[in-house]
Parts: sequence; C-alpha cells; structure tokens
Amino acid sequence: MVSKEFTINNELGMHMRPASLLSQMAAKYQSNIIVKHNGKDFNAKSVMLLMTALIKCGSQIEVVCDGPDEEAALAEITAFIDSGMGD
Amino acid sequence: MYKGIAASRGIGIGSICRIIEQDLSFEAKMVSDVAAEKARFQKAIDDFVEETYAMAEDVKKNIGEKESEILLGHAVMISDPSMSGEMFSMIDAGQCAEAALTGVCDMFYGIFSTMDDEMMKQRASDIADVKVSILKKLLDVKDIEISKVPKGTVLVCKDLTPSMTSQIVKENVAGIITEVGGPTSHSAILARALEIPAVLSVPGIVDLVEDKDAAIVDGTAGDVFINPEGDVLAKYVDKREEFIKKREELKKFIGKDTLTADGDKLEIFCNIGTPKDAKKAMECDGEGVGLFRSEFLFMDNTHLPTEEEQFEAYKEALETMQGKTVIIRTLDIGGDKDIPYMDFEKEENPFLGFRAVRYCLANPDMYKVQLRAITRASAFGKAKIMVPLVTTVDEVRAVKKLVAEIKDDLRKEGIPFDEGIEVGCMTETAASAAIADLLAKEADFFSIGTNDLTGYTMAVDRGNAKVAYLYSAFQPAVLRSIRQIIAAAKEAGIPVGMCGEAAADPLMIPLLMSFGLDEYSVNPVLVLTARSIISKWSKAEADALAEKVMAMDNIEDVLAALKAAAKE
Repeated sequence: MVSKEFTINNELGMHMRPASLLSQMAAKYQSNIIVKHNGKDFNAKSVMLLMTALIKCGSQIEVVCDGPDEEAALAEITAFIDSGMGD
Repeated sequence: MYKGIAASRGIGIGSICRIIEQDLSFEAKMVSDVAAEKARFQKAIDDFVEETYAMAEDVKKNIGEKESEILLGHAVMISDPSMSGEMFSMIDAGQCAEAALTGVCDMFYGIFSTMDDEMMKQRASDIADVKVSILKKLLDVKDIEISKVPKGTVLVCKDLTPSMTSQIVKENVAGIITEVGGPTSHSAILARALEIPAVLSVPGIVDLVEDKDAAIVDGTAGDVFINPEGDVLAKYVDKREEFIKKREELKKFIGKDTLTADGDKLEIFCNIGTPKDAKKAMECDGEGVGLFRSEFLFMDNTHLPTEEEQFEAYKEALETMQGKTVIIRTLDIGGDKDIPYMDFEKEENPFLGFRAVRYCLANPDMYKVQLRAITRASAFGKAKIMVPLVTTVDEVRAVKKLVAEIKDDLRKEGIPFDEGIEVGCMTETAASAAIADLLAKEADFFSIGTNDLTGYTMAVDRGNAKVAYLYSAFQPAVLRSIRQIIAAAKEAGIPVGMCGEAAADPLMIPLLMSFGLDEYSVNPVLVLTARSIISKWSKAEADALAEKVMAMDNIEDVLAALKAAAKE
C-alpha cells in the first residue's frame, strides 16, 4: 500500500471535469484507489463519489493505492494533481 | 405583465410553444428474466450515451467547448460504477430497470441538492436530467422535438434542461420563459451563449399560457407579456430593433484599442469588488482595473484579514489581469459600517468622521498589514495603491512613508515586490479638488471618485429625498471640480482616471475627453459601450461642447446641451 497527501490548488476544486478525468485514470488500474477527505473514504474510480467528497481549493486530501500496480497508479495521480487537474 | 429573473439580455417576440412535462410514471415490478432486463437497460444507456455525444458535438460546433462539456458530463455520470454499476446490481436483485435507475439517481440527487456548494447543487439538476432522459427511453416516451420548432417560437417550460437547450436552433427560438432556474443555471448560461432572450422563474407560467399565444420576452428587464396590446407590441418591436443594432455595433469593439475619432488612445478599466470579478473584467475586455474595492476582505469576515489572506486575494486579481494595471483602494470604511470585530464608534456624522484614510493612519499596525500585502502582491502584476478620502497632502506623505518602510523590510527579508509601485490619491472630496495642484506633486496618480465628490461638493446626502435633486455630477460645481482635478494632474504630468458612475455616462464622456481624462473605470458590462462612445468624438468636437457647457450656470441648461449633442 502506498499513499501521498496533497493540497488541492485549482480554483474550482474537484468539480465535474477533474473528477471525471481522475476517475477514468484510476479505473485503468487494478489497485484499489481511495481518496481520503475530512475523515471519509471515497472510491477514486467513481466520478460521482469523488464529487460528493466536496473537495475544494485548499482542501487537504490523501490518496491511497493498494494493489499490484499501486506505485504506477500513485505516480500518475500525483502528476495529475500537481499539474492542476487539467484546469 | 409577468415578472421573472432576467437571465439573458434582449427582446424576443413570437408565438408560444409549451413543453409540457410528460407522464413518466411506471409500475415498480420485480423481474424474473434478469438477463433480458439488463439488456433492455444497457440498450437505453447506450442510446442515451450515443445521443448525448452527438448533441455535445453539435453544441461544441455551434455554441462552444465549455457548454458541450456539460453534456459530456451526463454521459460520464451514467457510465460511472456508482451509477450504472449500482443500477445493474439492483436489477440483479430483481428490480426493474426503471426502479433501479430512479432509486440510484434520486439518492445522488438528494446528496447533491443539499450540498453547501453552488456548483455541486447544479449537479443535482444534471442527475435529474439524466434520469428523465433514460426513463423516456425505457418507457418509450417521445419528446417534442425542440430542434424542429418553427421560426419565431417562444419556448415555455417548467425548467429548461441542458439536453433541451442543446437542441435549440438559434435562428428559430425567439425567447425562453421558464418557471424555475436562476441567472447562473446551465440554461441561463446556454441561453446567453446563444444570445436568446430568456426570463426564468416566472411562477406558474406554463399553466397561464396556451400554445400559439403571442409573447414578448424582455430578457434585459425580466418582463414577460402574453397576448400584448398593439401599442405594447409596437413599442417592443422598436426596442428589439434598437437592442440588436446596438449589440452588433458593440461587437465591433471587442479586442480593440480605445480610440477617439482622432485616433488618440484612451483606456477603459473596470471597477471590481472581489478577485473573482477580475475574471469578468477580462471577459468584458477591460484594459485594467481602475478600482478594486478591498472592503469585501473586511466585511465578509469574522476577524481582521491576515496579511496572507489579503495577499492571496490581491495576487489572484493581479494574476487574472495578466500584467494589466490593478488599482487597489485601501480600506474605505468608517462609523456607518458595523463590523463587529472593528471597534468603530457610532458617530453623529459618519461621512464627515473617523473613516477611510483617517482611520487607517490612526491604526498604522492594521494599515501596514494591508499595505504590505499589496506591496508583496505587486510582484505578480502591475499593482497600484489608491488612498481614499484624501483631504490633505500630509495624508499622502504619511501613506508613502509607510510604504517606504514596508519596502525596506521586504528588501531585508528578500521578498520580491515591484520597486516602482505607485501610490495615488482618490480625489473625491471638495478639499482634494481645491488642492489638486498640491496633491499632484506628491501623488503618483489621481482617480476621481465622482459619487463621493458629488456628495461632498454639493453638501448633499443622496439618500435624503428632500435634497437628492442637488445630487448630480452634472452640477456646474462638480463639473468644475472635475475639470480642475484633471488639469492639475496634466500640469504635474501624472495619469488621471475616473472610477465613479459618471465615467460610463454617455453625456459625461465628451466633457471628460475635453478635460483630458486618460482612464475611464466602469462596470465591466459597460466597457464596450464606453469604448463605442469615445470612438465617436474628436477632441475638437468635445472641446467645442465643453466650452459651451462650462459657461452655463445651471444644471438644466447643461443637461439639455449635452443631450442635444449626444451621439448614441
């Protein structure tokens, strides 16, 4: 299991577009991928659940990947969040 | 006449076509052939996704990429494991497709509609839209084909969903009236992108009208007329022509320099109240920000905003403006504002009291936090500091001294800032007009605040109905003050702008051009209007008009002369 903490920097937070890009990215991996926010777990492979997490600009989140391709998954998600999530 | 929310400007006149909500009730029964039910549901989803992609493609071509993403989002939503995945599990458990779809969609609708976030609340209407679209496929209910309505149709419906809006043929739909929806709803955004006049949130309108009724939709005022009298109709036909002509004319000024008829370059800036407004200023083609009111940081807050909070807000505005000038006015409040954490004493006469720069200079620790935040933010664009309510030269000197101290500190700490950051003076008091020549030697720029300048010059409280008739920037006394301030700035060689309502007034603009005003700071939506008016006047024409008007000794003559000369 690998994990990493992030501060969300894009202005609108985890709105439709970034949530949909992130979920599509996560779905490519076999690993379980969880986004932790405000003490709750959200399945990163679901755009709907990611949006219900109400992640805003400035929010602290943790991404946890667990499975055979966990390293690769976390690396791609890290690059995605650091680049402003496509906004 | 019916009143609603003005959601998309313009006048639409046409014949009503009601889009009635169809009966989508179903019997939630258990199914025995699970495989067949899943296949039926899969087909409905596939058809929906395919149609949605096709619609999104159309919207992208005809409206814009951003708008098409709303629709693409619908396809992404239904394909999500927690949506269709969950629905298939329910069918596996024996539920029919309609019940599975409704159950999951309603659950997410409940979650999103109660979220404390405007953008996420909008997602609830997306989910409802997806549900209805797929339910129609399952129940084989056909829609009125909005794409086939004849030319001159006014659409009337309970709510305009994004999937309905995307079928609209711009040439055929004259107007839109709905019972729900606000100015920031998707429907409103799409209506504006299509330039179709729209009035939203007209209570009960669907039941108040019949198909083929004649309707006028005034999307500028938010008014709706059903089967109007001949004279009303004639009036609105004229209004529509005028609106269309003006809009086409203003479009020519998008992305252009602000030039007088002689080709001299002036500048149109915007007045903004929050960093987010800076985006609007850019969208409306503003050439800078002439007045960024910093009060929001203090008023929408529970504590004195920290240096970091202020820095972030100023930086955001500066970065949004991409190197264009942003003039930040330092805190401009006093005893008339009740800010719980600031101990303003109630005063007999707050507008003549302990406020604005007076309060700030008496509380240098608080003021330096703001000045330091602005100076730090100046590393991210072209920031200028504007001091409100100046009445003495010493006030400007005192602020400049504080800024010099802050610069020293920042240099020692190795924090970057713009060494050339200017400190200017908001000339909005009778005193500042009287000593404009002295102030111009100390200030780096002037910005005329006509609202307060009028009040202080005429000694009038605009809220007092008995004396409000005296409150006008066209009073000879105010015009002379404005002329004097601009002349003093010109004499000293410093730039001078105006950030009051008068800067966008078509009657005032030729006078300001004659006096020599450089920068006109207006509400973002008025940028193109002001640019258009400036383009119509040459210096010689403006001078001739100003010479005539400035010799007049009463406001009636002034207004009559300006109206007679106006170029609309």
